[in-house]
Amino acid sequence: MLELRHVSRHFGGVKAVDGLDMQVRQGEILGLIGPNGSGKSTTVNLISGLYTPSGGSVMFQGEDISALPTHLRAQRGIARTFQNIRLFSQLSVWQNLWAARVERSSGWDGFKARWLAGSNQGREQAEQILEFSGLQGKRDVLAGNLAFGEQRRLELARAAVSGAPLLLLDEPAAGMNASEIEDLDQRIRALRDQGRTVVLIEHHMELVMGVCDRVVVLNFGRKIAEGAPQEVQNDPQVRAAYLGADDNDELMNAALAA
Amino acid sequence: MTWIDLLDLVQSVFDGVMFGTTYALIGIGFTLIFGVMHKINLSYAAASIGAAYLSLLVVQIAPTPLVYLSAALLGGVLGALVYLVCFRFLPLNQPLATLMSTVGMLLLLEEAIVHATAGMPQNYPSLFAGVVFDVGPFMVRGDLLFVFGLGCAAMVGLKLMLEKTRLGLATRAVAQQSVAARLCGMSVSTTNATTFIIAGFLGGTAGAMTGAAIGVLSPLLTLPMTIKGLVVTVIGGLGSIPGAIIAGLVVGGVENLFQFLRGVSERDIYVMLMLFAFLVFRPGGLFAAPGGRD
Amino acid sequence: MDFYLGLLQVIGVHSLLGLSAWCVLHTGQVSLAQGGFFAIGAYGAGMLTTMFGWPLGWALLVAALLAGAVAVAVGFPALRVKGLMLVVATTAFAEIVRLVFFNLSWKVKTPQGLIGPDGGLGFGGIRYFQANAWSSVQVLLLIWGLVALVMLLLWSLDRTRIGTLWRAVGEDEVAAQSAGINLTAAKVSAFGIGGAIAGLAGGLFSHNTTHIEHGNFTILLATFAIAYPILGGLKSLAGTLVAVVFIQGVLVEGLRFLGDWRSLLFGALILLVMLVRPGGVLGAPLRWPSFKRHAAASTTDLMISAERTRHA
Repeated sequence: MLELRHVSRHFGGVKAVDGLDMQVRQGEILGLIGPNGSGKSTTVNLISGLYTPSGGSVMFQGEDISALPTHLRAQRGIARTFQNIRLFSQLSVWQNLWAARVERSSGWDGFKARWLAGSNQGREQAEQILEFSGLQGKRDVLAGNLAFGEQRRLELARAAVSGAPLLLLDEPAAGMNASEIEDLDQRIRALRDQGRTVVLIEHHMELVMGVCDRVVVLNFGRKIAEGAPQEVQNDPQVRAAYLGADDNDELMNAALAA
Repeated sequence: MTWIDLLDLVQSVFDGVMFGTTYALIGIGFTLIFGVMHKINLSYAAASIGAAYLSLLVVQIAPTPLVYLSAALLGGVLGALVYLVCFRFLPLNQPLATLMSTVGMLLLLEEAIVHATAGMPQNYPSLFAGVVFDVGPFMVRGDLLFVFGLGCAAMVGLKLMLEKTRLGLATRAVAQQSVAARLCGMSVSTTNATTFIIAGFLGGTAGAMTGAAIGVLSPLLTLPMTIKGLVVTVIGGLGSIPGAIIAGLVVGGVENLFQFLRGVSERDIYVMLMLFAFLVFRPGGLFAAPGGRD
Repeated sequence: MDFYLGLLQVIGVHSLLGLSAWCVLHTGQVSLAQGGFFAIGAYGAGMLTTMFGWPLGWALLVAALLAGAVAVAVGFPALRVKGLMLVVATTAFAEIVRLVFFNLSWKVKTPQGLIGPDGGLGFGGIRYFQANAWSSVQVLLLIWGLVALVMLLLWSLDRTRIGTLWRAVGEDEVAAQSAGINLTAAKVSAFGIGGAIAGLAGGLFSHNTTHIEHGNFTILLATFAIAYPILGGLKSLAGTLVAVVFIQGVLVEGLRFLGDWRSLLFGALILLVMLVRPGGVLGAPLRWPSFKRHAAASTTDLMISAERTRHA
């Protein structure tokens, strides 16, 4: 479904992503992990369009989208959440979802639906997502006034409402407590059950190992390991990347085998 | 165009470049404030001219160089005042509020000047006014040369301050990463205030230099100075001091070029169009600040 | 009585100007170009009625559409930049417009003699209202009728998806485009509609005052234009109107007895309002300026924002 072919991204002298080859298969939950500064967020930005690659290409559903602007990628079916919550805080929960509901029709009808639709149109999809995220009771609450956990759920819902087949989740568990993470785990599985593909960037090893089908590990902008969660966990290169050259077996085992 | 005309053109542009140091100073001021606060201070040029006006208070009792110095010092005072009134107590997450407060200050300063002087232009002392050097077929005006020289001295002083002093370090730190700076124990509001004061020194100098080069001060100067200053800041690249310097000189020269070619009333149209071209083709300006975001 | 009618007329025209800025500010852009579109509408409508004998309705419509079209044309390049650069770009545009009209000299022969803009001397003789025997009250009704119409238009736009999209773009461009919103379309549409409204205001202005010149369309006017919605609070259309009434009514006219001093007070008043109510008069609940040091944010906040800037 998604393929990064030898993608690079430079910032001045820094190679944030360096010749990365990565595939994401339809219907899988792919984890993207790596120590801080390894290029995970840059990779997500390259996929969602906030950055264009300095080299290589990004293929989505067989099409080269490397030069496609962000909003068009979103309309084609790539949705994302952000590490630091980026909700439209002055808009209500409902409006946040409504704004993101992507209208796929084109031509005059599409234009009318995208721009001129009154708030009664496009209700169905948004209502469904509202239920899915458990926020029905808060329809008209301003997004900025929600509790943290609810905001995270709304972010996820906003990404999902467009019906996008590919969801990029950028550290969705940051700041969550154990029960919220449990909830998140369920939601991600539910999204996969709907037929969607999920790329999950996370630091929370438990969540990654628990929910992902496959894991890709980055370090210094390059892929250093790939495979099923268990394999990756035991990979010596991954351990070295996370814990440095001086490994302490006990610490490692404790941290990675949790 | 005849040979004589060409010489006149070059002369005109050259004079413009030297006058351009005043634009450069104003541009630096805008860019400094933008660099640390990520906000625009629209009243900056007005405060600069205001400082020059205030320095007229001592013109009877002090020699001209001291008048310039007092303009610089008063600029610093006004800078602190602007910081206190327009920025210090306003919430940082409402950029429109600070924009409007600086507009309010701009109006206030301009009207204050008009009131104090009954709208009449005031003579401003210049140094080396009658002095002219002949360099080949060109004339180098002594007063403009002095303006240029003083402008350069101010820029060098600024550079030294930013790079060699602790205060300068603090300013640069806050500009790049205010949260981390705070965690390192730097007081952001003190640094901001000091930046305003330093920008005020530069502005006061620029105001004095403008008065010296033109020979008079008038409240009609404030709006064009504001606009030119903004143009310089944008062309030079937001947050870049070297950019502001070069852009200031360029705008000064280009302004006179267009004036020579098309006359005073159309001159600014072309300067603005040049700005537009920059915005379309090089929105980062000549040198965008590293990691510069707005 | 005539004085008050005149005042209400001016308030009406400025309300339209404020509403045009409201549009643009909604998408989060600070534009000082409204004065330029105002000028285009003023000169445009004036020229159509006096030099070519057009009826007022058509002249106003065409002038507004022209201003809107220019806004769209200027918007595309200008809106590629944000923040301060946009302020400067729009300022530059407005100055260009003003200077163009300063240099514009074009007269045609009409039964009333040679009429047309005359460079620095301005454009006089825009006497459509007088020639067609409009009373002051009728002019007033026209102006306010149009204000009501525009408010209705904006209010309904706000309820449809356009309004929500505008606000989303105004809040967070990155999130908006990642959610599939076409930023350029949103910004340019707001800019264009705002431009058209400003053009309409300009057309009314030139006919109301019968004589216009470049000095009417300075950056100062543009700052007034954005001051109205900012001071009135961007959440409500009514706030803009309140701000216009306040500024024009109370300050400009009501403080007449203060003579020259009122301009001085104007600046001071803006400062005061921003200190006490930074969200605008009808924006947020009333707050007292925090004269204590902005208390250091909690460590967690600092950490979180440090994270944010690191990954930005």
